Amino acid sequence: MALEPKDVLVRMQEDLQRALKKAPGERRWVMVIDLRKCVGCHGCTIACVAENKLPPGVVYRPVVEKEIGSYPNVKRQFIPRPCMQCDEPPCVPVCPVNATYANEEGVVVMDYDRCIGCRYCLNACPYSARTTDFGYTYVDQSLPVMDGVLVGREESDDYERAANYEYGKEWERSGGLQSPVGNARKCHFCLHRVHEGELPACTTTCIGRATIYGDANDPDSLVSELITQSNAIRLREELGTKPKVYYLV
Amino acid sequence: MANKNTKPAPEAEKEQEVPQKPVAPRKTFKLTAAHVLWVIGILALLIGGIGMYQRFTEGLRPTALGSFVPWGLWVATYEYLVWLEIGSLVVFTLMVYVFKINPILHKMALTLYLTALAILAMALILIGLDLGHPFRFWHVMVWPQWNSLLAWMIWAHMIYMVVLVGKLLIEAYGKSAGLKKLGVWLSYISIPLGIALVAIAGSVFSVVVGRPAWQGNGLPLYFLVSSLVVGTGLLTFLFVWFYPNKQEQEYINTVRWMGKLLLGLLTVGLTAAALGGMVLLYPGIPAQAEALKTALFGPLWWLYWVLHIGLGVIIPILLLVANTPSPKKVGVAAGLLIATFIAVPINIVVPAQTVIGIIESDLVNSFFGPTLNAGYFPTSAEWLVTLFALAFGFLVFLFGFTVLRLRPRVDETSKEVK
Repeated sequence: MALEPKDVLVRMQEDLQRALKKAPGERRWVMVIDLRKCVGCHGCTIACVAENKLPPGVVYRPVVEKEIGSYPNVKRQFIPRPCMQCDEPPCVPVCPVNATYANEEGVVVMDYDRCIGCRYCLNACPYSARTTDFGYTYVDQSLPVMDGVLVGREESDDYERAANYEYGKEWERSGGLQSPVGNARKCHFCLHRVHEGELPACTTTCIGRATIYGDANDPDSLVSELITQSNAIRLREELGTKPKVYYLV
Repeated sequence: MANKNTKPAPEAEKEQEVPQKPVAPRKTFKLTAAHVLWVIGILALLIGGIGMYQRFTEGLRPTALGSFVPWGLWVATYEYLVWLEIGSLVVFTLMVYVFKINPILHKMALTLYLTALAILAMALILIGLDLGHPFRFWHVMVWPQWNSLLAWMIWAHMIYMVVLVGKLLIEAYGKSAGLKKLGVWLSYISIPLGIALVAIAGSVFSVVVGRPAWQGNGLPLYFLVSSLVVGTGLLTFLFVWFYPNKQEQEYINTVRWMGKLLLGLLTVGLTAAALGGMVLLYPGIPAQAEALKTALFGPLWWLYWVLHIGLGVIIPILLLVANTPSPKKVGVAAGLLIATFIAVPINIVVPAQTVIGIIESDLVNSFFGPTLNAGYFPTSAEWLVTLFALAFGFLVFLFGFTVLRLRPRVDETSKEVK
């Protein structure tokens, strides 16, 4: 009797629990995106925006849509594009103050309090995976104040002022110019969730199970199986940046 | 005593005869060119202050900068000011202290150092305000990452500022032989330091993997050549404008010599630009070729063809090619050159970034937001802040020139420079 295959989410959750038992330096977080399964729902983008309370103009995981061919041989391709978390990240050495670096788990992170906002890393990234936070808000200040309803300036303001917890720290958005306003921002594989035993927001939200996350140093993990497949590719390999995001094509 | 007793009477008569007239002109306000310039400078500073208010209350929101075009007018102007500042000082120091040619130029030392300091002030204001967190500039001093050329550039500029201020103070107030010797050594040090600063400023762009139009080893060299071109232009302009005795034959000869130098350097610069352009176009890599095409034939084509080539290159060349151009013509040529050369750094900085809208339009259109625009044209806030920085530097110059009287020395002779 054949065993019922596990849902990949359950499998990834088990992989994650195993990985978290190891020392951080022994883990190597990798993301695999199966382009054949991506339906272009942009759910991952929205989940990321909600999880990290991303303001207007800041995006960690856009889904690029490409139209290939012409009628009748035409196809629409959806390519989610998070930070590639390169092993040789071009954005890191250019930072004049060491505000961005690859942590011991190999994830390229930001020190918002140290970043001076020069945006050199934005220009250095060959994947345009970084965006800058100029302090925009979704709420138009001309909206009417309406007490007791969900919409309206005050209620919406409260939501925008709620803190996000990137890098395990509380980042309130008071409306001023304090960090992370003025900083470069980027995908960090939801490390604040991962360290609490939860998968990244984009991974749990994916309706087609197209995004797979795990520890590539664990030979039993799902990502270890997938990245060795012959259809696994990485973007712009010719640059030698060695991305940790793989695509199954 | 007798005389004293007898003389006061006629003096008293004179005082009665002549009313207050001889005293009056001293008390009345006489409008001078300096007054007008002060008023213009302060007005420009106040108008630019609107942009500064926006900058400090709204951050970078009032700018046209964003995630696809993170660097714009302020970075380009900073690069241009570095070219001006360093180029003029390097050319001056080489001529006066190293090759010891045209020693009459040494009389311009104070004015040139003052101008360089004013330009430095403009440059640091602009690059500081370009930061998302301007008040964290000191992080580069405390936590520098030496792998970053930006850290090198900031440190080199800080050190250069100390050297420049030292040179200015010694030139203005240093009387002892020891101090003068120190001034000469600072001048020697400033040459490799200045060349390094300009080359590093070019390298900041050329090491960037994400912008193929900048990549390669051409920009540091091109920055150096451009710096020498505009630096010679500035030095020539200052010499023609401020040198006190314009009848001296040595002055006329020196101006003509500098005109020839400017013409030569301009030719070298044009050749370097043409070669660089061909290298970008030849392989046909869209990220490189399209950036250059945008600069040449994009919406701001006039910036290159009219402002730079027309007003900044062709007219100056026509003025300079004459066998014996008058100092005034050389001065006009130099002035036109330095007033329009800003088009070059703008065309280096901006199209290499906006080209993403052509080569990766799918990415640009994948998500929308206020900073996710691949186009760029400076907003009024950017122009106003730039005006503030330029006005501030202008007032620094005016203060030094009119109040501290850091002017060309007329008492020196050419032989004093050894």
